[in-house]
Amino acid sequence: MRIQVTRTGGFAGIERRAEVDTSGRADAHEWHALAERVLAGGHEAPPAGVPDGFSYAITVDGTTVYCADPRLTEEQRGLISRVLKEGA
Amino acid sequence: MTNTSISLILVAAGDKGVTQCHGFLMTANPTGHEPVFCTIVPPHLLDKAAQSGDPALAGPARRTLERDALERTRRRLTTVIGAPAMLPPPEASPGKPHRTIYDAGHLTDLPGTKVRGESDKPVTDATVNRAYAGLGATFELYLKAYGRNSIDGSGLPLNASVHFDRDYNNAFWNGEQMVFGDGDGQLFLDFTNAVDVIGHELTHGVTQHTANLTYFGQPGALNESVSDVFGSLIKQYALGQSAADADWLIGAGLLGPRVTGQALRSMKAPGTAYDDDELGKDPQPATMADYVQTSSDNGGVHINSGIPNHAFYLLATALGGNAWERAGQIWYDALTGGELAADADFAAFAQLTVKVARDRYQDGAELENVLKAWQQVGVPTQ
Repeated sequence: MRIQVTRTGGFAGIERRAEVDTSGRADAHEWHALAERVLAGGHEAPPAGVPDGFSYAITVDGTTVYCADPRLTEEQRGLISRVLKEGA
Repeated sequence: MTNTSISLILVAAGDKGVTQCHGFLMTANPTGHEPVFCTIVPPHLLDKAAQSGDPALAGPARRTLERDALERTRRRLTTVIGAPAMLPPPEASPGKPHRTIYDAGHLTDLPGTKVRGESDKPVTDATVNRAYAGLGATFELYLKAYGRNSIDGSGLPLNASVHFDRDYNNAFWNGEQMVFGDGDGQLFLDFTNAVDVIGHELTHGVTQHTANLTYFGQPGALNESVSDVFGSLIKQYALGQSAADADWLIGAGLLGPRVTGQALRSMKAPGTAYDDDELGKDPQPATMADYVQTSSDNGGVHINSGIPNHAFYLLATALGGNAWERAGQIWYDALTGGELAADADFAAFAQLTVKVARDRYQDGAELENVLKAWQQVGVPTQ
């Protein structure tokens, strides 16, 4: 499973992207479970955000959902955080 | 007695998002009294100025800043000593801010725990005190320069949450309050470090209560630009800097040790604020010839804001003196006069600044330089 996160906006307006490929990872099942919950809870189009808030696009094996600060679910926040920290 | 309050939450450039936010009610503290204008220059600004590479600049700048800070402290102490014992209810004391700072405790529930209210003494957490001072500096500029009583013009309480999430690299306005992150310490530092960032976020509140510019495309870039303009003016006012003395940077003091750059944006020279391996290069254009068409960042609201930002810089430096006076007044009149449409593009805003400049200053240097500034950045005023 390939999980990509693209973060745009924010006060700085600097885009950030990262991707995690879960194949071969010991914790792959955790990633899969989290990604599936995020896909189920995301928006099909970018939602309205707030001034200077981050906007996110999360793509899991070709399917993309969107979300924006400050209204993220715990699952969205967790997945975004992990991909941007551990991804390349 | 109670109002819907505005809070500020500063979030640092992190990789994490806010999980939720909600409105809340704030009741003014009925026991204390805070001097009307209690702007303490944030220590980082003093540091920044004192770090100028040119000793001929750094010495006088440092002395000026120290004197400013001393005078502000003296004024504050005098006011505190002379203050009446009881605080009048807020509706009876126009011209006084009603600030509350909350600590989100590195979580994402807003607003968090109240840590400093209006009239409370400074606490040990410098981030809290910087947010408090920044709210005061913002309130003071709007009141002193433009006669505006807080964000909504009616004394709206000002709320800010600090220490939002962990390593959060952002600050934002959630429609009701400010949110500040601590930064990750590598790319970004504490977002309360820059008083212009605090002023920027609160100005989103002013815009929301006035022209309510749509946060997308050109009206979105105008929304961003007026936040940069008044954020910079709040810093200039707090430091007592003229247009010629100001750095015209947004977010100086925010970039971490790993970053090659001086700030996040430059109104004087858009596109030159940073050029870094990790962050990339400052993408802002200065003129319409380099306008960036993009679907990301809400249609480039933080990118194309460089164009109206630069127009303001050109006007303010052409007029000279204090930028918050004539140049700031023209921008303020355009933003708050009731004639700016929510979907205004750059040209509509430029035309309105021409009109309000003529209304207020007739056919003088102000009008002439407004026309010149927009012409220089390639925005038509006809």
